[in-house]
Amino acid sequence: MEGLFFRLAWRNVWRNPRRSIITISAVASSVVFAVFIQSLSRGTRDGMIDNLIRHSTGYMQIQDYRFQENPSMDNVFFYDDRIVDRIRQATPSLDLVLPRIDTFMLAAGEQVSRGAMVSGIDADKEHRFSNIRDYTIKGRFFTPGEAGAVIGRGLAERLGLGLGESLVLIGKGRFGMSASGIFPIVGVVDHPLPKINQQVVYLPLETAQALLSAKGYVSSLQLVPGRKTNTESIAGAIRKELENEDLRVYTWQDFMPEFLNYMKIDMAGAYLMSFILYIVVGFGFFGTVLTMTMNRLKEFAILLSIGMSRSRLAVVVLLETFCISLIGVICGIVAAFGVICYFYRRPLELKGNAAEALIERGWSPELFVSFAPDLFYVQGIIIFFIAMAVFLYPLIKISTLDNLKAAKS
Amino acid sequence: MPVVQTEKLSKIYNLDSMPVHALQDVTLSIEKGEFASIVGPSGSGKTTLLNMLGGLDMPSSGSVWVNGRELSGMGDRQRIQFRLWNIGFVFQHYNLIPVFTAWENVSFIMLLQGRDKRAIEHRTNQLLEEVGLGDRKHARPAQLSGGQQQRVAVARALASEPRFILADEPTANLDTKAAMNLLDIMARLNNDKSVTFIFSTHDQRVTQRARRVICMVDGKIVGDERHER
Ligand SMILES: Nc1ncnc2c1ncn2[C@@H]1O[C@H](COP(=O)(O)OP(=O)(O)O)[C@@H](O)[C@H]1O
Ligand SMILES: [Mg+2]
Repeated sequence: MEGLFFRLAWRNVWRNPRRSIITISAVASSVVFAVFIQSLSRGTRDGMIDNLIRHSTGYMQIQDYRFQENPSMDNVFFYDDRIVDRIRQATPSLDLVLPRIDTFMLAAGEQVSRGAMVSGIDADKEHRFSNIRDYTIKGRFFTPGEAGAVIGRGLAERLGLGLGESLVLIGKGRFGMSASGIFPIVGVVDHPLPKINQQVVYLPLETAQALLSAKGYVSSLQLVPGRKTNTESIAGAIRKELENEDLRVYTWQDFMPEFLNYMKIDMAGAYLMSFILYIVVGFGFFGTVLTMTMNRLKEFAILLSIGMSRSRLAVVVLLETFCISLIGVICGIVAAFGVICYFYRRPLELKGNAAEALIERGWSPELFVSFAPDLFYVQGIIIFFIAMAVFLYPLIKISTLDNLKAAKS
Repeated sequence: MPVVQTEKLSKIYNLDSMPVHALQDVTLSIEKGEFASIVGPSGSGKTTLLNMLGGLDMPSSGSVWVNGRELSGMGDRQRIQFRLWNIGFVFQHYNLIPVFTAWENVSFIMLLQGRDKRAIEHRTNQLLEEVGLGDRKHARPAQLSGGQQQRVAVARALASEPRFILADEPTANLDTKAAMNLLDIMARLNNDKSVTFIFSTHDQRVTQRARRVICMVDGKIVGDERHER
C-alpha cells in the first residue's frame, strides 16, 4: 500500500519533468545562495579573527594592568622562569608562553623617519605559533641576542631602506631613559596584516630589552592554549593565580572590540539577507505550488469520488512535496559544497573603498568562506521546511475540496 | 431490497438568489441486476440525480438509501469509505490517474480496499481481459483511445465489487463504434454477472440498449419503462 502511494507520488513528481526540474533547481539554488551568504559572513569573520589572533593579539596575553592605557616602558613587568612555572601550574593545558617587549619608537633611514612598533621577540617560539619566518621575503630572521633587525616590508619601503642597510631607532626606555640604537636590517617580512606590515620592527628579545634599559622585563606574555576552545577556562585559572598582582589576563576579545562590533553588524546583515532570501523563495514556491494544485483539482476530485480518503490523498501529495524538496535540498547542498570549495581556494578579494576601509583598520581585504558543516545542514533544513510549509497549501486544499465543484471547474 | 432507492429527493441550487430546482420529488428504486438508463435533455437533472445516488452530493430534501443505508446520515469520511466499498463510478472524462498504467488504475482501487495482493493481481488481469484490454495492460491513459480509457474505467469501477455502477454519459465523448463496443461490454457484464448499471445519456443509440429507461424533464421523472431486450 505504502509502496503504491510512493509510486504514485514519484510518478507525479516526474509527470511534468520540466516543471519539476525548475522547482528543484529553484530549491537548490536557494540553498546555494543561503549557504553562500552565511558561509561568506562566517568565514570572513572567522578568517579575520584567526588572522588577528595568529598575527597580532594571540589568544590571550598577560600584561600589567596599566599597559593598555599607557603602553610605556614604565608598565612592563619582570619575566623569569618563576612566573612561567606559576602560570603552567595554574593551568596545565598551555602550549607556549611567548615573551614580548613592545613599544613605539621613531625609526629612521637616511632621509625619512617614521613611527614604528618595535617588538622584541623570541623568534623561535613566535615561529612555532605564527610561522612568522615564512613571511620573510628578503634575508633571514635573527638569532637570539643578535644585534640585527627584521622589518616589515611596508615600513622598509616608507623608510627607503633595504637589506643590510642601517636602521636607526630612537625612543624612551625604562625610567624615562633615552633609548637609541643602530641596527643592520637582516631580514624583511611581508606581514599579512597591513597595519603591522607598515609599522613593525622585530628585534631579538634580549637586544630589545638592552636597548630599552629593561633587562629581564617584558610588556606582555602571549599564552598559546593547547586547544583553541578552552581559552576562557585557561584565562580564568590564570586570573585566579594572578589575583593579587598588577598583572591582568586579556583574551583576544578584549583586544578587538571594534572589530567584533563591526562583525556583529556584518553578521546581522547576512541574517537579514538570508531572511529576505527565504521570503523570496517562499513566494516563488508558492506560485508554482498554486498552479500545480489548481491544475490537479479535477484529479483530486476523481480520487475522492472513487473512494480514496482525503488523508491518503494528502499523504501522496505530501510525499510529492517531500521528494521535490529533498532532491532540491540535496542538489543544493552538493552544489553549495562545490561553490564554497571554489571560493575556499580563491578567496574573494575586495577592491576599492571597501578594501581600503578594511586595510585602514588593519584587517586584510579578503573575504573568506567557512566550511562549517552546520552551515550546510542548517540552511538545507531551513529551505526544506520553507518548501514543505508552502506545500501545505495543497494539503489544506485537499481537506476542504468539494469534489463536485472541483470536477466541474 | 433495492440496491439503491430514493424518496422525494429534491435539490435546489440558488443561482444569484434565483432558485433552480435541479431535482423535484424524485422517488426511484433500482433492484439488483438492473441495466437502467436515465435519459433526458441537457439540464434535466441527470447528473444531479446520479451524484445523489453516488453520495457525491447532498439533497436539499428527501433521502437516498444504498443497500438500506441512508447516505445523508454519514459524515464526509464515512461517505468516502462507503463509496469505496459500495459504488463504482464511470465519469464522462478525466476518469483515470494519468501517471498509472491501465493495470495500475484497475488494481489501485483494490489496494485502497486493502485486499490481498495475489487476489488483486489475478482480478486485475481478469477484468482487463473482460473489457478487451488484455494486451494494453501497461499502457498509460494518454496512450489509449477514448473508448479504451472508458473500458479501463469500467474495469476499475467493477474491481471494487460494488453494489452498482454509476456511469454519467459514459459514451458522450466516443464515436459510434467505440460507444457500441462499450455498451456491449456493459450489457454482457450485466447479463453474465448481474452487475447493476445505472447510466445517464441523451444518446438515442444508447437508450435502445437499456432494459429500463427512466425519463427526466426539468428535474422530474416523467416516464419509467421496462423493455425486454
Ligand atoms: N452546481 C450547480 N449550481 C447551480 N446550478 C446547477 C449546478 N449543477 C447543476 N445545476 C443546474 O441544475 C440543473 C440540472 O443540471 P444537471 O443535473 O447537470 O443536468 P444534466 O446532467 O441532465 O444535463 C441545470 O439547470 C443546471 O444548470
Ligand atoms: Mg449531465
